[in-house]
Amino acid sequence: MTLDQVALEMPVRIVNFTSIDATEVARLSGMGLRTGTTVTKLIATPLQDPVECLVGPQLLALDRRLLRRIQVEAL
Amino acid sequence: MANFAGCTVEKAVGAVTVAGAELEVVDLPGTHSLLPATEDEKVSFRFLCECAEAGEDLLVLCVAEASNLSNDLALAAGLKAAGFRVALVVNMIDEARLNGIRVDKEALSDELGMPVVLASARTAEGLDAVCALLTSRPPRADPSEVFDFRRASRRELRDLQEDAVRAADRACAVAVSLPHRVVLPTISRSMRIDRVLLHPVAGPLILAAAMFLLFQALFAWAHPIMDLLSEGLAALGEALRARLPAGAWSSLLCDGALPGVSAVAVFVPQIAILFTLIGALEQSGYLPRAGAMVDRALRPFGLDGKVFIPFLSGFACAIPGIMSARTIASERRRLVAILLTPLMTCSARLPVYTLIITAFVPASLRPWGLDGRGVVMTGMYVFGVLMALLLALALKWTRLYEAHPSLVTILPPYRVPRPRELLRYVRARVWHFLSRAGQIIFMVSILLWALASFPRAQRTQEGLAPEAAAAVRIQGSALGMAGRAIEPVFKPLGWDWRVSVAVLSSLVAREVFVGTLGTIYAMGHETRSTQGLVRALQEAKKEDGTPRYGVPMAAGLMIFFAIALQCVSTIAIVRRETGGWKWPAIQFATLFVLAYGLSYAAVRVLTALGA
Repeated sequence: MTLDQVALEMPVRIVNFTSIDATEVARLSGMGLRTGTTVTKLIATPLQDPVECLVGPQLLALDRRLLRRIQVEAL
Repeated sequence: MANFAGCTVEKAVGAVTVAGAELEVVDLPGTHSLLPATEDEKVSFRFLCECAEAGEDLLVLCVAEASNLSNDLALAAGLKAAGFRVALVVNMIDEARLNGIRVDKEALSDELGMPVVLASARTAEGLDAVCALLTSRPPRADPSEVFDFRRASRRELRDLQEDAVRAADRACAVAVSLPHRVVLPTISRSMRIDRVLLHPVAGPLILAAAMFLLFQALFAWAHPIMDLLSEGLAALGEALRARLPAGAWSSLLCDGALPGVSAVAVFVPQIAILFTLIGALEQSGYLPRAGAMVDRALRPFGLDGKVFIPFLSGFACAIPGIMSARTIASERRRLVAILLTPLMTCSARLPVYTLIITAFVPASLRPWGLDGRGVVMTGMYVFGVLMALLLALALKWTRLYEAHPSLVTILPPYRVPRPRELLRYVRARVWHFLSRAGQIIFMVSILLWALASFPRAQRTQEGLAPEAAAAVRIQGSALGMAGRAIEPVFKPLGWDWRVSVAVLSSLVAREVFVGTLGTIYAMGHETRSTQGLVRALQEAKKEDGTPRYGVPMAAGLMIFFAIALQCVSTIAIVRRETGGWKWPAIQFATLFVLAYGLSYAAVRVLTALGA
């Protein structure tokens, strides 16, 4: 499943990135979005996009276009 | 020096003397990875490579956040692997301790192979150790050994980043012990706050209230101080005029230099108040969240949430608005914000709109039972926003367009702003304005005074009221002659030489249009009471007895003022913020052509409709 399909407050683990080029994946790794990292969707901003997520030890606002490209598995 | 992304949006250079040695400290824009994407990130890597190439003594001081070392260490590790001499400052160590995080400095230093200092910029902890790092003389970088980010392939950069992430993970595993909690206390607190501030209903209401407060502060808090400064300097000018012998020198001082100082000084309260509030919002951690909330709505226009503050500030004055665009990290997006912010209806346009609306929109006009003049005024605000959005759409087809800068926005934990940091932040921005743009504004004010004062009118002014004498002087001045010279250019818009001169003089500040027109009509200084000038405009006749001005001309004039970049202070600040005359020239020319074209179209259409 992809991260946009996951319910709020449910922690999941990143397993892969799809439709993102390798350079962008490497860039995202610098912001904590890496394979194996635990992610929890917390709250959608008022216009439903982006979504606030707990990624490792930090809070990130992730665009829905990105959520659709992150494959995750349940913990 | 490199710190976390989003703080510095340009290279800043300073000097510091440590143990008798003078050192140059360069603060570079932050970056999250070794793969520069935006222009500000490229600036950092370009600078490092150029220093290495020039063989300069260089120490890269990487500033990492103690509570987020698992992400922040990769940059330091990567730069070390790239051949630079790197030292690591683990900042906000006090906050990390409160979070229950323990950092083993020696183990971290051994693992990364670089000196490490645990510090807190807020409490000054570790500052001496940072100074000691600076005085250690690093060997000159060998250009043949340093990785050149400018010429590296994407594959090489990716490999470097992946290796750096692995090195950072290893270092964290050895040197950083995390608490046994799932979520850090500062993050847990921020999550609770976000449930309110990002709530679907409460979130936008709180954002609207915060922006209303900011807007009010710019108008309600700044304006009394601005008026006080303006009136104080005007009174000083009058006092000096009474004491000095009449002549060119007295006029230079009282009509040129002092108003020039006034033109600079009046912006200081607005800039100080705006940046106090922006600084507080930024330091509290709310600003990235506010940007995230409006981001989706602005995306179809090629804009993102970060233009929100410049645009909002632009309603008070374009100058602080343009300066606040510094919070935008992407160079191209910052440029787009700078180019579009002057289209917001600033307070200087209000006297112009008030005069024209009062003179040409009948009080009896009541569409849908509403006050017609109020509707037109509101329409001008909407018109400015629409023009900015339409131009933003148009800019999507130019090389200024940059795809959405990032699909990720870092939301820092909420923190209480510290007055001392805030004061330093505001002082730096006010000084920046005074030392750079202020000089240009002052010089241009003097130039416009000279154009309005010379050559001296030959016609005797004896027996004339001071206001009438002023009108005679302006008519015979270089500015008056220029107004007559350009009259044919603006004739299609229905302007005569008087309006042309007033528009030319309004380059100093838009509201000067009212005063100049008032002087030309020998009505005196009309900025406070426009009724005399309103009647003069309504009753003015051409030589053939037909009205000199009509609704089409008035509508065209308002459209012209809504779009044209009629403000040298704004031009000066755009020059300063873009680092040259190219962009202000393009902006001025583009907006002028657009203003002229739409104004002409409005005049033609309304004339055809018999308005």
